[in-house]
Amino acid sequence: MTETITMRDAKEIIRMQIEELARRNREPEWMTRLRYKGLEAFERAPHRDPVISEEELLQFIAKPEVEGIPEKIESLDDLPPEMKALLDKLGIDEVEQKYLAGLAVQTDTGVIYNQFLKEWEKKGLIVLPTEEAVRKYPDIVKQHFLRLFRVDESKLTAYHTAIWNGGIFLHVKEGLKVPFPLHLFFLIQESALAQAPHIIIIAEKNTEFHLIEGCTSPVLTRHSLHLDMTEAYFHENARGQLTVLQNWPEYVHTRPMTRAKIGKNARFINTTVTLGSGKSNIGDPHYWVDEKGYVELNGILLGQKDFYIDLGGRMFLQGRGAAGINASKAVIMDESTVITRGVITAEAPKTKGHISCDALLMSDKAVMETYPGLVSKVDDAELSHEAAIGKIREEELFYLMSRGLDEEKATQLIVKGFLEPMLKDIPMEFLVEIRKIIELAVSGGM
Amino acid sequence: MLKVENLHVSVEDREILKGVDLSVGSGEFHVIMGPNGSGKSTLALTIAGHPKYEVTDGRILFEGDEIQELGPDERARKGILLAFQVPPEVEGVKIIEFLQHVLIELKGMDPVEAYDLIVEKAKELWFREEDLHRYLNVGFSGGERKRLELLQAILIEPKLLILDEPDSGVDVDSLSVISRKIEELHRKGTAILLITHYGRILGHLDREKLRVHVMKDGKIVKTGSGELVDRIDREGFAGIFEEVGA
Ligand SMILES: Nc1ncnc2c1ncn2[C@@H]1O[C@H](COP(=O)(O)OP(=O)(O)OP(=O)(O)O)[C@@H](O)[C@H]1O
Ligand SMILES: [Mg+2]
Repeated sequence: MTETITMRDAKEIIRMQIEELARRNREPEWMTRLRYKGLEAFERAPHRDPVISEEELLQFIAKPEVEGIPEKIESLDDLPPEMKALLDKLGIDEVEQKYLAGLAVQTDTGVIYNQFLKEWEKKGLIVLPTEEAVRKYPDIVKQHFLRLFRVDESKLTAYHTAIWNGGIFLHVKEGLKVPFPLHLFFLIQESALAQAPHIIIIAEKNTEFHLIEGCTSPVLTRHSLHLDMTEAYFHENARGQLTVLQNWPEYVHTRPMTRAKIGKNARFINTTVTLGSGKSNIGDPHYWVDEKGYVELNGILLGQKDFYIDLGGRMFLQGRGAAGINASKAVIMDESTVITRGVITAEAPKTKGHISCDALLMSDKAVMETYPGLVSKVDDAELSHEAAIGKIREEELFYLMSRGLDEEKATQLIVKGFLEPMLKDIPMEFLVEIRKIIELAVSGGM
Repeated sequence: MLKVENLHVSVEDREILKGVDLSVGSGEFHVIMGPNGSGKSTLALTIAGHPKYEVTDGRILFEGDEIQELGPDERARKGILLAFQVPPEVEGVKIIEFLQHVLIELKGMDPVEAYDLIVEKAKELWFREEDLHRYLNVGFSGGERKRLELLQAILIEPKLLILDEPDSGVDVDSLSVISRKIEELHRKGTAILLITHYGRILGHLDREKLRVHVMKDGKIVKTGSGELVDRIDREGFAGIFEEVGA
């Protein structure tokens, strides 16, 4: 902390950034007005973050970049040595390393996406950087932008609204079943702006898609706060999967804000794989589920160093026969803390909800807390929860070791095995790396 | 090959083995019998290096080296394998992957070579290829687990195989497969230390060549040839214990 930033200073900085974004994005007036609503709400909105104080938030607004990351990464040799070593251990080739280091992408626009998606546009698949979507499809975006959040819910929603930048807009038109997973990896390394991508997903009737966001390898980010917001709309009978992969350096705080409306008979599988060792990760996604709709929130968490993870998840089962599952599996190492607090509210007849939480504690200083919440407003809902928190069982470890595997290898197998059932929907190319990262983490190599 | 001398073992400060002496030469076939709770599994687990069983006195030697300070993995690499009485479930670890790891570590095989061998040997123990993609012991019946233990034994081909009740809870047909596989390993030179309650598992093995030890309250109270097995089958332990004054 060098100098104190006042609320006035922070607001002035945000105002300048809004002007800059409005000019650069050539965005319609309504969007700029919305940004100003964010700015206007910022001061009065509550700030409830258990880790980042208001003072720190203001500080961050003034200076979103962390210190100590080399000014210019011109070759892989400029990477921090720990990161370079880790990328080598993971066996990531040079081309991909460059990509992760931000060497292979331009730093001014948001999304990297494949040329061949242009072909799919004709069939009804629209994937665009959100800024571009705002210009190209203003009406649709307007109907879906900041409709599931209130600007003034918290300082973070207000700040995000004011300066959001980057992110993607995914629109799957009626009847289209996208046969391949869409992998979108965005790396925005703009120093002056906070990382605040805005993601909009619209899945029309009878559609199918699988969106994979992020990547399993550690990424060199320059920012210590990551404030992404996702709004997803599933119409009747739409089936979608959103898999978020993240591996943050140890100075990063992430505050994912995800909300989704799940229509009749629609189905949303929302999986997050958190590897690495960030500073903190706090989120409380909301899902509103209509008749016979289904939502699954899967969390695969690897807590290392002093990573503080607090994951909520509220599911409102609003239509008859709606169902929701909130399942997490956490491997908690070092001095990391993981808290889960899913809440399922049954508001309609014949609804079903289940919360499960399994944790493997790998050190004496690792902490796990779970607070499942089940609320029933009807008399025939089926709601349940289960939790299992423990260490690696001595019997299992001895069994594997008695076959000649050393303790490290046996532990790796058990830890990977513990997470394995939750990784069922992850495509193979990511699985291989996820497993490798778990192995490295278990052997203390990260 | 294996020499157990005056072995005292405690679990949670309770003494369970109270001075066991046992010597198994290479290629020999030994049988341990004894009532429930007499310490048979404790002896087996202690030889294999279970961390819960504390050696308070005595020594365990394998091929001349003291091994009681070694970890279970090091003992396995020296050639000792224990087929468990109650193999634990290991969630999320596929049998095939686990066995590949074992063969890579113990025998230096490459993964493909290991895979083929595992599938081939699994058939001999009535496992289909798809069974091998299940998680280790998870949801397996008692009898299936025993066959899986034996599969591991024939893949690893240890110098000393300790079998803790490979016959309990096993149906007649599986029993004869298991019994044949034990004989096969023995013929190939593996020394066997078999814990059982019944003679049936010994099939047609030449009784003269067996060494039988009877345990009671943490001690071996009698050692003899294969006839002992049939006698215990017929009469139980009472007569023997009376004879030796145990
Ligand atoms: N891990 C343990 N914790 C506490 N007590 C134990 C443990 N292992 C063995 N014991 C005790 O030691 C004694 C011997 O047990 P052990 O399992 O060795 O008997 P066994 O001869 O194998 O019996 P069985 O024929 O029933 O398998 C028993 O009284 C048992 O309760
Ligand atoms: Mg026993």
